[in-house]
Amino acid sequence: MAAITNSIGNRAAFAAGGILRRLDPAVVGTILAAFFALPIIALIALALSGDSEYLDHIASTRLAEFSIKSTKLAIMSGALAALIGVSCAWLVTRYEFAGRRALSWLLILPLAMPGYVAAYSWYAITAPGSKFEAASGWDLPTVSGISGAAFIFALTLYPYVYLLSRNAMEAHGRLSWDIARSMGAGPWRAFRQITLPLIWPAAAAGTALVIMEVLADYGVSDFLGVSTLTVGIVRAWSSFSDPAAAAQLAVLLLFGALLALGAERAARGRRQFASTGASDTQLSPRSQLTGWRSALVAGLAMLPIALGLLIPAGNLAWLAINTRPSGSVLPALQGTLLLAIGSAVLAVFLGLTAAYVLRSGNRVARASVRVLQAGYAVPGAVAAIAILSALAIGQSVLNALSGAQAAILTGGSIIALLLAYQSRFAAVAILTSEAALMKVRPELDEAARSLGASPMRVVTKIHLPLVLTGLATAGLLVAIEVMKELPATMILRPFSLDTLAVTAHNFASDERLAQAALPALILIAICVPATALLNLVRPNA
Amino acid sequence: MTNRFALGLVLAPLVVLGACSQEVETSDDTLVIYSSRHYDSDYALYEAFTEATGVEVEVVEADGDLLIERVKADGDSNPPDVIITVDSGRLWKADQEGLFASTSSDILNQRVPASMRHPDGHWYGISSRARVLVYAKDRVEASDLTGYESLADPKFGGRVCARSSGNIYNISLLSALIARWGEERAQDWASKVAGNFARDPQGGDSDQIRAVVAGECDVALVNHYYYARMALDTNEDVSNVAVYWPEADPGVHVNISGAGVAANARHPELAKKFIEFAVSDEAQKLFPELTSEYPAVPAVTYDNAVLDALGTFKADPLDGTTIGSRQEEAQRLFDRAGWP
Repeated sequence: MAAITNSIGNRAAFAAGGILRRLDPAVVGTILAAFFALPIIALIALALSGDSEYLDHIASTRLAEFSIKSTKLAIMSGALAALIGVSCAWLVTRYEFAGRRALSWLLILPLAMPGYVAAYSWYAITAPGSKFEAASGWDLPTVSGISGAAFIFALTLYPYVYLLSRNAMEAHGRLSWDIARSMGAGPWRAFRQITLPLIWPAAAAGTALVIMEVLADYGVSDFLGVSTLTVGIVRAWSSFSDPAAAAQLAVLLLFGALLALGAERAARGRRQFASTGASDTQLSPRSQLTGWRSALVAGLAMLPIALGLLIPAGNLAWLAINTRPSGSVLPALQGTLLLAIGSAVLAVFLGLTAAYVLRSGNRVARASVRVLQAGYAVPGAVAAIAILSALAIGQSVLNALSGAQAAILTGGSIIALLLAYQSRFAAVAILTSEAALMKVRPELDEAARSLGASPMRVVTKIHLPLVLTGLATAGLLVAIEVMKELPATMILRPFSLDTLAVTAHNFASDERLAQAALPALILIAICVPATALLNLVRPNA
Repeated sequence: MTNRFALGLVLAPLVVLGACSQEVETSDDTLVIYSSRHYDSDYALYEAFTEATGVEVEVVEADGDLLIERVKADGDSNPPDVIITVDSGRLWKADQEGLFASTSSDILNQRVPASMRHPDGHWYGISSRARVLVYAKDRVEASDLTGYESLADPKFGGRVCARSSGNIYNISLLSALIARWGEERAQDWASKVAGNFARDPQGGDSDQIRAVVAGECDVALVNHYYYARMALDTNEDVSNVAVYWPEADPGVHVNISGAGVAANARHPELAKKFIEFAVSDEAQKLFPELTSEYPAVPAVTYDNAVLDALGTFKADPLDGTTIGSRQEEAQRLFDRAGWP
């Protein structure tokens, strides 16, 4: 298991190492960041190119509502996801109960469920007059509006918080916890004063990812009737044919994302802990729960899996069984896998390099990486429009130089799409790589350097082996995100390239959920093993 | 070791599938169609066209606005010959962006009514959907409904359902109402409707119909096509709702689906031939029979029990340009009226 993980990582490490050996990490990072920040630069340029007509209109009508709803939704979803993620991580690392080992794997799986699919499915279950309500006689609260959307986001995104917190808890071992407990602290106090500070950076990073994804979402919010800023952005484009106005609102959203990231940094900065030493990774036995306590905890840990994955997927399976399939899904499956694998490889490379930039302390480089990370909150549709406009300029230069007319860069090329994915999901790769790199204590560098090792030798011989698990996590997370991604894929894909997400959306947008069920289920089915792989890359495995 | 094996098993097919994913080569005489429709009627149409003419068809599907944006960017290695999109608003927008070439054809001009086509032959309607009201038979008297204005009637306070105002069908309806009533009255209507909502707009048209069935609201604004589809679906029960035609002068608002020859078509003659085929008797009946839409050619006979039961109606003859050019204004009006 570890050997495979290593061989995947080694290849990435080799590629990264080759360049890094010749260049200073800060320089490499700045160049890379600048390249991948291109869409954001294009976005700002696009925003500046327009007039303020739409902005004036929206400011006098609905901008306040859009902003308040976006903020509320982000806070509610983030808080709920953090609560679920951290408490589940705590349960599976601190206690022994029925099915604990299986549950610690299963808890990550709802990440395989695309938010919009969960929203369609839950709404179909709980809407007034639904089949389920008619059959059961229950009157469930409808999953709609702000609370419904927060429910969907929390249950499909909490695995970010869970995964990072669980790995952090395992990496820090239980020694400090045991000491606290033996000194007479209750479990709650030990959690609050010992465990929470230790996993704080990881939990904060996970929550930041959740919040940025919520800010960028269009599908869930629009369907469940929450007028967020992103809904306004897409309208500026679709109803007003005004990409510049869409870009202006997107820049506003970017500020919101930078604020969220800033808050995460601030939270992390106040509580920076490295583990007390190698001895603390030794595991002492988990507290054994028996009888009803064991069953209760198992049931609690099962709840997010049922709500986030099993129930919505089960509803789709029921629909799919009762529906005649419409066309072959094989080409869409191939397209999805092609894009996911390509993006994952790129993301690992980018994430690692960016993490070094952050560690290097070069101010300009750090700032550009932060902006790059905020790209996660740029709605996919806006990122795609910005990339189209940026690439059109690049293309005309290319054509002028080569005299050819081939559309290499502009819409309909895989290059454009891969670039869009990187700008959207760089944050996932960077945050994960950075969290991994943060576990490498600075004293290690100093020790190695004092023994005469060159900086690059420190990177390849000390850092890489330590952060491989983090890099594999980054690659898998990006692959999963790319498989689920919808708007940028729809705009930028070569039209001969279908993906499962696009196919499912085409049916669902025409209110044919039953026909959307099959491609959606296949999408979930390939995201599940990819998600499960995340479990292989854990610190003590 | 077993773990390593399992991991290999998972990864191997991914790599293989990824590697064999190649772009499809299109032969020179294939007709390329970009469509924002994905219905069984359309698939049957493509098949029938290939059968009748021997011409292979390659279809690329994408959402309406995306389709326009992409054809505009003109970066695809596989440019369209025919562009098909839903709603006169989108047809107008695509036309504004210069995506259509002008086509003249006696067949098309004879068969498609003037209100269903572009005056210079940039696009031709192939099918239409009517924007209607559905109401709960047991809670609403049909005589209380007088037209779209009924939705703004105080007696329907807290009883109306509709989807969000970002939806193209709502935008096109309000565009038509602006043309009909003028801006002031249209905005007054939109605010009063928003004030009558039983719940915040959510879901699609089918969800509004289900809400009427379930008693959450009593009257809803939807396309007839969703009602017909549900009425034909044995899994749905719409027996307690009825369709009301808001025919009050000048008639029911209809959303047109249209096809046009693309500006840079590689096969303009074939493209024209395809659109002519799409308005033939043989092709036109596919729309009502497989998708429950109304055919663009009025005289076409078809077999669809639900549409027969709905009877005939008087359609608003307003042209696509009038509707399309008011889209922005309509969205502004919705924003000011507080219709989410």
